[in-house]
Amino acid sequence: MLDANFPPAGYIPANSSVPGIDLFMPAPQLEKQEAIVEFRCPQCNGETAYNAADGGLNCAYCGFHEPPPKEVVGKGAEAFEFTVTTVEWAAHGWGIVRDELQCQNCGALTAVPPGDLTHTCPFCASNQVVHRQAPQDLLRPRFLIPLKISEEECRTAVREWLGSSWMTPGKLRHLARTAHYAPIYIPYWTFDAFSTSVWRAQVAHTRRYRHYNLSTKKWETRTKTEWKWESGNVRLHIDDLLVSGTNKLSRLLLERIQRYNLHELVLYDPSFLAGVQAQAYDVQLDHAWAEARRQMRARTKSACQAQATSQRMRNFSMNLDFSQESWRYILMPLYVATYRYEDKTYQVMINGQTGVVGGQRPVDWRKIGLLAGLALLPGVFTGLLSLILLIFNEGGFPLLAITAFLLALGAAVAFYLVHHAQQLDDI
Amino acid sequence: MATLNALMTEWKARLEPVLCGYCDWRYMIPAGSSTQRCPHCFRRDLVPLDVREELTPFPHRPEYVLPFTVTGERVAKQVSLFTHNIPFAPADLTPQNLRKRLRRVYLPHWLVDAEVEAQLQAEVGFDYQVVSHRERYASGQWVTQEVRETRIRWEHRVGDMVREYYNVPVPALENDRELVERLGTYPLEEMEDYRPEHLDRSFVHLPDRSPEDAWADAVPAIQQQAADEIRQAADAQHVRDFSWRPDFGYQEWTQLLRPLYATYYLDDDQQPRPVLIHGQTGRLSGERRASTKRARRMGFIIGGVGLFFVLVAVGLGLADLFVAEGLGLAALLVLLLAAAILIGALVPPFIAWEFNRRQDLQ
Repeated sequence: MLDANFPPAGYIPANSSVPGIDLFMPAPQLEKQEAIVEFRCPQCNGETAYNAADGGLNCAYCGFHEPPPKEVVGKGAEAFEFTVTTVEWAAHGWGIVRDELQCQNCGALTAVPPGDLTHTCPFCASNQVVHRQAPQDLLRPRFLIPLKISEEECRTAVREWLGSSWMTPGKLRHLARTAHYAPIYIPYWTFDAFSTSVWRAQVAHTRRYRHYNLSTKKWETRTKTEWKWESGNVRLHIDDLLVSGTNKLSRLLLERIQRYNLHELVLYDPSFLAGVQAQAYDVQLDHAWAEARRQMRARTKSACQAQATSQRMRNFSMNLDFSQESWRYILMPLYVATYRYEDKTYQVMINGQTGVVGGQRPVDWRKIGLLAGLALLPGVFTGLLSLILLIFNEGGFPLLAITAFLLALGAAVAFYLVHHAQQLDDI
Repeated sequence: MATLNALMTEWKARLEPVLCGYCDWRYMIPAGSSTQRCPHCFRRDLVPLDVREELTPFPHRPEYVLPFTVTGERVAKQVSLFTHNIPFAPADLTPQNLRKRLRRVYLPHWLVDAEVEAQLQAEVGFDYQVVSHRERYASGQWVTQEVRETRIRWEHRVGDMVREYYNVPVPALENDRELVERLGTYPLEEMEDYRPEHLDRSFVHLPDRSPEDAWADAVPAIQQQAADEIRQAADAQHVRDFSWRPDFGYQEWTQLLRPLYATYYLDDDQQPRPVLIHGQTGRLSGERRASTKRARRMGFIIGGVGLFFVLVAVGLGLADLFVAEGLGLAALLVLLLAAAILIGALVPPFIAWEFNRRQDLQ
C-alpha cells in the first residue's frame, strides 16, 4: 500500500531524466539575502546600531534593545573543501561591484566604496548592511566573532599601551582620549589541513678522540664530524591558520593583534554589522591559500628538522602531501584609531574581541640619546682620569684597562637602546 | 491435458522428456537418444517421463537462447590443459576421451517481465573534484604540484515510480550459484530468439525451481535495476541505501537457455568424474584426480627392485662369511642402495596423495 502523504513535507521536486520516475529532494535552506538590510527602531523609527557592551541592537533615541541572534558555532563552524569550482570562481574576484546605493529611508543616492559591506547614509544617518554579489554563494561571510570591546574599554587599553613604554614621550597617553576609535569587521581566511611528510638528510655527528702526535710527542684531542643519513616522517594537523583577507591594513599590526579566540565564532547575521564598518575580502582565496601553504610548509619543515638527532644537517629533502584541506571565510572585529603627535599621524589597532593593542608609537629620541650618553659617561670619565695619571707618570695603565671595559659596556648598552627604539619607531 | 505432441509442436523439434534416476535432473533430449548418459552424473539412468503425469508444470518453449560460440580449438586447448601435469593420471583421463564424450547441454534461466509501482528513497552520489597539493623540497627550493582528487557528494532523494522491467534474469536451478562460481556468468547481451536449430543434439535441462520459488530472487534483482535507474534519473554516478515499497503488477515468466559442454572421465573406482566447459567463454571446471592405484603400482615395482638388492646384499654377506673374505664392504654398500630404493618406493603414492589433497583443498 503506497503512502498517500507523499512526498513528505519539506521536499521539492528534483530533476529526473528517466520517464516514470519522479524524484524529490530536501528543500535547501534559503538564506535571507536581501540586497540591503536597514536597521531602524520599531518604536521610534530612529536608527539602531550594534552595541558591543550588551551585544545587541540599541536605539540611541528611545533606548529600545533587541538582542541579535547569537548562535555560537565555535571551531565547529562549517569548513569548505577546495573544489575545482570554488577555486575557479574565487579566482574571478568579485566581478560586478555595486558602487551606488539608494537609501531605503530617505531615498538619497550615495556611493559605497568597493569592498564595503556596511554603509551609513550621510543624509539620514540610517545604518545599512549591503549584500555584495559574491562570485559563489560559499564566498559570502558565513561566520564572525562579535564585537565585544566597547569604545571606552578601547580608550583605556590604548592609554595604558601608550604609557607602557618609557621610550615614548610622556604626554603621549593623554592623546588616547582625543583619538577616534572606529569599529570595523575585517575579512579573514582560516585554513585547516593535514600535512604528511617524509624527510631525509645528512646529519652531523661530532666525535672527540685522543691521539698521539709523533712530531710533538704529545697526546692531543681531535674533533671529527661524521655525516650520517637520517630519515623520518611527520604528520601535522594544522588547525585554523589565519590569513588576512585584506591588503588595506598593515599586516604587521594585524599580526600583533590577531590572536582571536575562534571558539566564539557565531553564524553571520547582518545585525552584528549594524553601525559598524565591514570590509569584504580583497585577497582572493587562491592567494590566501598559497600564503597559508607557505606557512604550513615552513611549520612542517621545522617539525621534520626537529626530529633529526642533530641540528647540523645538509642535503635536506622532504616530500609533503596536503590532505583534508578546508577553508572558511570569516569576519573579525577590531578598532582602528589614529592620533597626531608633532605633525605626524600614527595608527593603532585594537582587537575587538580581546582588547589586545598593537600600533605605532613615536620614540622620544632625546630620552634615548640622554640614556645612551649616560651609559658611555663612566668610560669617558675613567678615560680622562687615566690620561691625567699617565701625563703625571702616576701609573694610569690599570685604569686605562678599566676605561676600555667601561667604554665597551656603555657602547653595548647604547646600541641596545638605539636598536630597540629603532624597532619601535619602524612600525 | 498436455501431450508429447503438443510439447514437440511448441518446441518445433523432436524431443522427449527424461529424468535421471541417479541425480534427479530432468532434461528434454533429442528423441531416441535416451540410451545416453546423464550429462550431469554421467550414469546410464535416464528414464522417459510421462508428459501428462510427470511433467508439471508444462515445459514451455524458451524465449531466448545464448548460442554455443566457443570454438573447437579453444575447447581442445582447455581439455589438454586440464589433463596436463597430473601425476599418475587415471588411465581414462586423456584429452581424446574428454573430447569424444563432449555433450552439448543447455541450462535454463528464468527471465521475468514485471510492472512495478513503488515509493522509494535512496542516497545518490555525485562525483566532484577537489584541488590538493604535493610539495617537494630539495636543494633549498620548494616544487609544488597540483593534484586533483575525486570525491562523492551524497544527497538524499525520495521518489515514486511506475516502471516496467523486462527480462530480469533469475536462477531456475537450485545449484545455479555453484555453476556460476565454477564457470562464470553468461553475457545476456548476446542472447538470440529461440530457434529449433539451437537444440542440435543438445540436452535441455528443465528448471527445478518454480516461478513462485524463484520470485524470492527476482525481487532483489528488480530492486537492483530500480536502484540503478534512480541513479540514472538523478544524473548521479552512485547510489546507496536504496529502499522501496513496491507493488508489483503483472508478471511474465519465460526461459533463457545457456550453453554448456559436459564431459567426464573415469577415476580409479570407475566412477565418472564430470568436467564442465562454458559454452561461450570456454572456461573449464572439473576435478583433477591422480590415480592412487597407479601410484601404488609404481611403488610396488620400485619396492620389488629394492627387495632384489636386499637379497643381493644378503648373498654378498654370506659369501663374505663362507666363500671369499673382502665382500663385506660390497654387501654393505648394496644394502644401503636397497634401503634408498625401498624408501623411494614410498614416493609415488605420496605424490598422488599430496596432489589429490591439494585438489580437495581447492
